[in-house]
Amino acid sequence: MDKKTGVYICTGCGIGESLDIEGLSKVATKEGKVPVCKSHPFFCGPEGVALIKSDIENEGVNTVVIAGCSSRVNYDVFDFGPSLLMERANIREQVIWCHPANDEDTQMMAEDALRMSLAKAAHIQLPEAYQGQNMVKTILVVGGGLSGITAALEAAKAGYETVVVEKSPVLGGWMNSLFKQAPLKFPYDSPEDVDIASRVKELEAQSGVKIYTNAEIKEIAGAPGMFDVTINQNGNTIQERIGSVILATGAVPYDPTKLEQLGYGKYANVVTATQMEEIASKGKIVRPADGKEVQSIAFIQCAGSRDPEHLPYCSVECCVESLKQATYLKEQNPEAAVYIFNKDMRTPGQNERLYKRVQQDGAIFVRGEISEISEDDDKNLIIQSKDVLTGSTISTEGVDMVVLATGMVPTTAFGESLVAKAEDSEEVEATEPKVEEILKSNLLNLAYRQGPEMPTLKYGFADSHFICFPYETRRTGIYAAGSVRAPMDAASSIEDATGAAMKAIQCNELTAIGNAVHPRVGDMSFPDFAMSRCTQCKRCTVECPFGAINEDDKFNPLPNPTRCRRCGICMGACPERIISFKNYSVPMIGNMIKAIEVPEEDEEKPRIVIFACENDAYPALDMAGINHLSYNAWVRVIPVRCLGSMNIVWIADTLSKGIDGILLLGCKHGDDYQCHFVKGSELAGIRLGKVAETLNRLDLESDRVRMEQLSIMDYDQIPAMIDGFAERLEELGPNPYKGF
Amino acid sequence: MDEIKEVSLEMKDYIVSSGAETLSWCMQCGLCTNLCPWRLVPGEISEAFNIRKMQRLGQLGLEGFEDENVLFACATCGMCLVNCPRKVEIIDNVRSMRNTTVAAGFLPANLRPIAGSLHANGNPWSGAHEKRAEWQEGLNIPAFSDDTEYLLYVCCTSCFDTRSQKIAKSIVNLLQKAGVSFGVLTAEENCCGETIRKLGDEELFQKLAESNIKLFNGKGVKKIITTSPHCLYAFKKDYPELGGNYEVVHYAELLGDLLKQGKISFSTELAKKVTFHDPCYLGRHNQVYDPQRELLKAVPGVEFVELGRNKEKSLCCAGGGGRVWAEAPMGERFGELRITDAVDKQADILVTACPYCIAMLDDACAGLEKGDVLKVMEMSELLNASL
Repeated sequence: MDKKTGVYICTGCGIGESLDIEGLSKVATKEGKVPVCKSHPFFCGPEGVALIKSDIENEGVNTVVIAGCSSRVNYDVFDFGPSLLMERANIREQVIWCHPANDEDTQMMAEDALRMSLAKAAHIQLPEAYQGQNMVKTILVVGGGLSGITAALEAAKAGYETVVVEKSPVLGGWMNSLFKQAPLKFPYDSPEDVDIASRVKELEAQSGVKIYTNAEIKEIAGAPGMFDVTINQNGNTIQERIGSVILATGAVPYDPTKLEQLGYGKYANVVTATQMEEIASKGKIVRPADGKEVQSIAFIQCAGSRDPEHLPYCSVECCVESLKQATYLKEQNPEAAVYIFNKDMRTPGQNERLYKRVQQDGAIFVRGEISEISEDDDKNLIIQSKDVLTGSTISTEGVDMVVLATGMVPTTAFGESLVAKAEDSEEVEATEPKVEEILKSNLLNLAYRQGPEMPTLKYGFADSHFICFPYETRRTGIYAAGSVRAPMDAASSIEDATGAAMKAIQCNELTAIGNAVHPRVGDMSFPDFAMSRCTQCKRCTVECPFGAINEDDKFNPLPNPTRCRRCGICMGACPERIISFKNYSVPMIGNMIKAIEVPEEDEEKPRIVIFACENDAYPALDMAGINHLSYNAWVRVIPVRCLGSMNIVWIADTLSKGIDGILLLGCKHGDDYQCHFVKGSELAGIRLGKVAETLNRLDLESDRVRMEQLSIMDYDQIPAMIDGFAERLEELGPNPYKGF
Repeated sequence: MDEIKEVSLEMKDYIVSSGAETLSWCMQCGLCTNLCPWRLVPGEISEAFNIRKMQRLGQLGLEGFEDENVLFACATCGMCLVNCPRKVEIIDNVRSMRNTTVAAGFLPANLRPIAGSLHANGNPWSGAHEKRAEWQEGLNIPAFSDDTEYLLYVCCTSCFDTRSQKIAKSIVNLLQKAGVSFGVLTAEENCCGETIRKLGDEELFQKLAESNIKLFNGKGVKKIITTSPHCLYAFKKDYPELGGNYEVVHYAELLGDLLKQGKISFSTELAKKVTFHDPCYLGRHNQVYDPQRELLKAVPGVEFVELGRNKEKSLCCAGGGGRVWAEAPMGERFGELRITDAVDKQADILVTACPYCIAMLDDACAGLEKGDVLKVMEMSELLNASL
């Protein structure tokens, strides 16, 4: 495409009063030789927009550079269609709103911003949407419990073909084992009849739903929009073409045989919550030892939960289940004594009402650690416990039965670990990112180079971007729902499954038109690999957080564009720099760096390049501008898709250009990461650790490159962050490469 | 290892059956304890008494709540009650827990003469029953009959205590000036029993209440004016379940209405800064807040100021729940905080409308030696002076 560039300098919002617009225009016309350069006091108004439109229609302008407000605002006003290249130079939020008006440094800053935008506009090309072969929008739901049924129903009702795979002979899962269910309806204060059968019926009657029971997934190969799924049903192999997948395999109760200290296995009348459901289903609640009708009962909450020796986490629904079971006994005998021993009562959602009702029915709640459970000659159980609320140790009269409220273990927490194996065979360097924890739990059996299942989080729960985007996972087009993702009760599982169905639908629709899914929805670019120069180093396949890149028979990287989230982490990882997007590449950023004017040493105007993550750091810089915070004017900001897309060569490009320092602003990483692309900022940190050594060898202080974690809320810390770095650079003195 | 305390469901059930129906509703959040006026003073009782913990002991039937400083500390001010997120009837729970001890014959020593006098004389002040109406001499108050609209029921305190008799007399004068049709049955009445019920002597309360109900019903009483908010509480909230159903008003409510109707007015100027202490039983327990203020503002020259903690947030004088007969050491009396509140507002007169509050605040004012800057008055006295 032959580019004809138009530069439009907006003078509104104080820009005209703060800058020498004529000087700025010369950057475009004299330096950039841009054929069209105009200014207007109100480009985002109807007249301004008409002016640009007229140039596009009448002058043949097809590349538009607007110098004005941040690209994060007015993007809808300046949307001139997909066949036009658009670039925005941010001279409002990041220049005139945080720097003095009519100041030499402010002017230089604005001019460099325009130079960088012109360099970028000159380099980029229009992306072309990816179109796969034989793409479908069918949704596969793995697991036919409450979450799976809900997700399948929601998807089918929205008009999507749905395939449900359930390993047991019937649908319904965990809910089938219940006598009653915790309330899902107003007034939420008493148990309800289990309604899973009606949900199963509804699903079976729903058109567009294919149900495979007694079936397991043998393999899922391919990518969103074109997964090839092999199902094994009773030994028969079935093939399905699938668009997106919902993992809803749920959780199982914690193994009670590990709870001997609470009397399980030792005393006949100590049972689990699951057994209590069975007992209640049979009619009269009698105790296992002698069939005596139960008159008094003690529930032990957190039986093996919130306990570092067992399950360190809270399973969310056990308190509610015990409250529900307490009503079973009160129904049978209103005079029955009910104790509920707990670490804390946790009744999320509407369940506080059930809690209140059980309190009002006279149950005794004891908060504190159990010190001993013993049995008397009549097989009654005596519980000794701390009572935090009186500060004393108490002992109960003998109760007929004890129920252990055990927690839930996700189905993804079982199976052999891939990581453990890797650790045995080779030493893992500390400078490498933590390897994804994937267990061979025989649920999805993904034909992915990165492993057969979803990566798991702490405690083995299936992946979720739990801090910021709980429905997102590291396997594009595969969404976890229900208690396999996090401990949750029935009401939350229904919500969660509905959410996952929505994500699966979004994935199908966006993938079909070649668009990226979250968080770069609408992005049509995808990485190109100049394969002839590939050295098969595997950096890209290893570092892609989304498992987008497989390997072909010859060990070359095999990209799956519909798995790709367009973060550019592969581009940053590649030492040969063979990976690029049409509108985002290593040389594009290189050209932007080159466009920065670096004053001579004696001018005493150092320069700092900020590589800012577009998702948090760049908006934080805008926020600083909106709040008119002021900071050092030596900085030149280059937005990057993710700090993980930072290629080390940019550090070299920047420093060899004579720029004095580099500040990398990325998202928080670690266990509670906020990186939109999960690993990006962490990977940037690791790459930087490796570059420090090289810099020192070249007599360039490694202090010249600094990385900070910044969330959008931290915008108020930006001035101190930038000014502090500038001070350190002053101590170091000018970059010795200046003027080379 | 700590001593292991045995849970007693039998004890718990006994407390519940004594009237603590909402005991198990308590989720032990502790808001009650933090709102309790005992947190505002130091000392032994303050350290011993924790209403949340007391209820917890009750829930488990554990020993430890019988200690006098725990069981009889509550002044039943209702601050916890109106704020409880679980709507636990905390005062009923206190009453029931006291009942388990009192019914077994363990009334604290200082309260025995009170109960004895109630048994023998029908009043807690050891006054002979025949002297109950002595204060009425020369006032020409008709006996209640079919011709009188209201029964004026005068609190035992104002019948026997010489300081408090002034209140009764002022009220009589105000009612007469306003032309209210009322009569008395003072000589035949017994104590309303409100306070002894709060102290846990349910049996004695029933005896007193039943004799009053018999008297009132026999005389055809329909409407009652009370001089004390405590009697108001008993007649309105305790008597109906025993067959005593009356339209009951505190004198302040009635005078407030009469003021609006123009049937009473005040003409003598009183150029003073006046503030009002809301009695718990008039305010939080019966939701009467406005008439007192309207009446005081209707007195010419009065500059009315509110205390910092007023209306729903009023601080108890410590006279309720039987505490009027308790001995709290100086420095641990809520009344002292109240006097300080009024002095801080530079008020000349601290007005209230309850004979217990008057007793407690008078004591506190004298104890703090603030008598030269602050005068404590019952509202009827102030209004009477400016007629």
